[in-house]
Amino acid sequence: MIKTAQDIKSYKKQLKEALSDQFLRTALDNFNTAYRGNRSAVYEGIDFEGIKKEIAAEKDAALPRLIELFEAFKTHAEAAGVKVHAAKDAKQANEIIAAIAKENNVKKIIKSKSMTAEETFLNDHLENKGYFVTETDLGEWIIQLRKEGPSHMVMPAIHLSRHQVGDLFETVTRKKQDSENIDKLVKVARKELRPAYLEADMGISGANFAIAESGALGLVTNEGNMRLVTTLPKVHVALVGYDKLIPDLKTMLRILKVLPRNATGQAITSYVTWIKGAVECGSAPANRKIMHIVFLDNGRLALAKDPVFSKALRCIRCGACANVCPVYSKVGGHKYGHVYIGAIGLILTLFYHGKENDRAIVRNCINCQACKEICPVDIDLPHLIKKTYRAVLDQDGKTPVKNVILSKVLKNRKLFHFILRNAYLAQKPLAKKKTMIRHLPHFFEKEHGFRSLPVIARTPFRDQWETIRPHAVHPKHTIALFTGCAADFIYPEQAAALLKVLQKYDVQVEFPMDQTCCGLPALMAAEEETAKEVALQNLKAVMSEKYDYILTLCASCASHLKHNYPKIFKDASLTPENLKPFTDKIIDFSSFVVNVLKASSKDFKVTGEKVAYHSPCHLCRGMQVTHEPRKLIEIAGYQYVPSKDEDVCCGFGGSYSIDFPEISAEILKKKLDDVQAADARLLVSDCPGCVLQLGGGMDKRGGEIQVKHITELIAETKI
Amino acid sequence: MPTSDLIRLMKEKAEAVQAVVVKIKTMKEAFQYTVDLTRRQGGTSMVAMGLETQDVNLLEKACKTADLTFLKPPLRSHANEIHTALTPVDWGIAETGTLVLDSSSEDVRIATMLSETHVALLPVSKIKPDVTALENEINAVLKADGSSYYAFITGASRTADIERVLTIGVHGPQELHILIMEKNRE
Repeated sequence: MIKTAQDIKSYKKQLKEALSDQFLRTALDNFNTAYRGNRSAVYEGIDFEGIKKEIAAEKDAALPRLIELFEAFKTHAEAAGVKVHAAKDAKQANEIIAAIAKENNVKKIIKSKSMTAEETFLNDHLENKGYFVTETDLGEWIIQLRKEGPSHMVMPAIHLSRHQVGDLFETVTRKKQDSENIDKLVKVARKELRPAYLEADMGISGANFAIAESGALGLVTNEGNMRLVTTLPKVHVALVGYDKLIPDLKTMLRILKVLPRNATGQAITSYVTWIKGAVECGSAPANRKIMHIVFLDNGRLALAKDPVFSKALRCIRCGACANVCPVYSKVGGHKYGHVYIGAIGLILTLFYHGKENDRAIVRNCINCQACKEICPVDIDLPHLIKKTYRAVLDQDGKTPVKNVILSKVLKNRKLFHFILRNAYLAQKPLAKKKTMIRHLPHFFEKEHGFRSLPVIARTPFRDQWETIRPHAVHPKHTIALFTGCAADFIYPEQAAALLKVLQKYDVQVEFPMDQTCCGLPALMAAEEETAKEVALQNLKAVMSEKYDYILTLCASCASHLKHNYPKIFKDASLTPENLKPFTDKIIDFSSFVVNVLKASSKDFKVTGEKVAYHSPCHLCRGMQVTHEPRKLIEIAGYQYVPSKDEDVCCGFGGSYSIDFPEISAEILKKKLDDVQAADARLLVSDCPGCVLQLGGGMDKRGGEIQVKHITELIAETKI
Repeated sequence: MPTSDLIRLMKEKAEAVQAVVVKIKTMKEAFQYTVDLTRRQGGTSMVAMGLETQDVNLLEKACKTADLTFLKPPLRSHANEIHTALTPVDWGIAETGTLVLDSSSEDVRIATMLSETHVALLPVSKIKPDVTALENEINAVLKADGSSYYAFITGASRTADIERVLTIGVHGPQELHILIMEKNRE
């Protein structure tokens, strides 16, 4: 049923197919936008940042105690008439459940939605044993009839149109269906499934919570099918992952504040149900439900002890990491996970379903941080995805050629810069004296031709430095400029524009010559050692104690220097505390000009030109800077024109756009469509990578809108 | 929170999830409302769980007058016949428009899960501002010896599984009516 690509080549083939599904893309793009709108409305008056830290701490505290919590749960549940089982893996869980069915002479089984049962492929097992299994959640029923896996953890059939569902229901009911009318389609499920509840001998559910102090299960649902599944048949089996164990009701109620809000933008679902013990049941002998709870390990207990990956067990399955993922919204869940999908799926797949199923998909993260920001339990998903990628590479014992070269080159700054300088000569015939390369050689063009590429500068910024360096007279601030490779070697004009602005404010600027790549590309390729080595080189080169600020032109460099350096050196001699004198000084251009220099509109000419803004992922989410760039545009005499989804990724993602050019192109297409729908003549951003992507895409489509780095925009009107 | 604000919030939040909220004064009025509603919807049957005997008798009489079948427990044998279910609820939570109902009795479950329309009686005195105010009450139920089935009900059953279009009434009741009783009894 689920066929997850096990190598990158067949994965790319699958992705190509997915990208040709126009319905899917439109549906998921709309979902991405609508979800974020609904969600922010329903969080009004709730301290999301505070509550997520509390839940994360509670979950973390529970993980080392899982066995203890399990024992407490078991004692209370068994005292109330339940049989509690512990299954070490999927196979054992399925066998326990099949044995319960056999022992109770079960023929028909109804199920409510359970990702854990998807994880163990329980239906396949039961059907092979001759049981007749019916899924009752609408989405699950639909995909069961289609013999598919879920494409979303909360909305399993989100990849299907009403027409596909209508056609399916015509086959099932052998009656004509009105496919335009979703209400009627839903009522088909209501009518068709009613008899199934009454005929079934066994109901299987999952659970959102297993409360240790009382032995009660907590379930959070909307359709009402779970209530029927757990009420009508004589047997109820709940399949529950160990990670669902929580100490008490208070913890559940806290999680309940964020779970429905994050999952579906609801303050609460239609039903929240607590089931404790074997309840009254008219179809069971002695009028008591035959109730079993099967706890599934399947790697969880080992994962709980892992210092890095245990954080993945905080997950409460809200599905939000998929909802906001720009890659998910282009390719859909079937191509963005195995059983578990979305960012958390790229991680859990390795632990629950093995490296083969994770090998290709784990590489498909663009690192835009949208999932990290939305996660209600504070999982650093992009970070864990790269860690997972590393673990897959280690388990496979193979290093991709790209990684070998990347590491070799990045570790040696002189070699790296030698290559960049020579790239200017190599591309000369392609550039034909222009600043953009519109047509790549044939072997590239097909997938990579979605954007024009900038020409490597004839003279990199570092070689211009001595001639253009400003000399401050009475400087109030002394700063180190960390340009990043792109502004140094591709866009020296962006750095030159910055100097022009800072000179007017009499800032003493230094350019530490030994600075090199920040190391983010190495981390993205899961080459942690290389990332560590270049980080050390930069720390040595910059010598932060000499400066008030370390100013970057690239949002990705900034957030990498500030937030990833402490993560890279964790457990080593350089603790986050040691790094603070360096990381505290990292600042982006807009924040420096607005907050430190206190720029005012008197310093600028007024043009009133309309400017759209693209908010770089690593600025708005990485550095949490959202207000300053927009304010700076206005201060500098322009008119800021809002456009749709400004804070959604542009599709660049560094080497991502080379690894997955077709997805990058689709993300870019939507971004440019949204920008063009706004009434602006200019588009600015504060990351050379975004400028490369947006400018290249705009040039390729022959768009009228000019794309610039915000430094260039500001330099133009500075008096 | 003053009572009038609690009622207002309860009503606002419940209506936001498509529940119908009506203020009533007497039990008699509640019965009349339920009977009229059932007839208006073309229903022919009704159940009531959790009422006192004298009220059951009163309701049965009202059903008879209106030519509605008054179904009696055990309800399992009537599983496919229930149009309207009338039940008092234990608590209301104003913050989310939620009803809290101890559903440990199988008949309460069948009534509130398999009916087309659920009419809930909520005394004003039972409305709490938020879920935190009920933590002790819920814990008392969950930690008591023996088994329990405890439910929060917020609006009618719903799904967005087809094209994310919100659709009311999948497997549970298609309508939820909340009758807020000003006094517990006249």
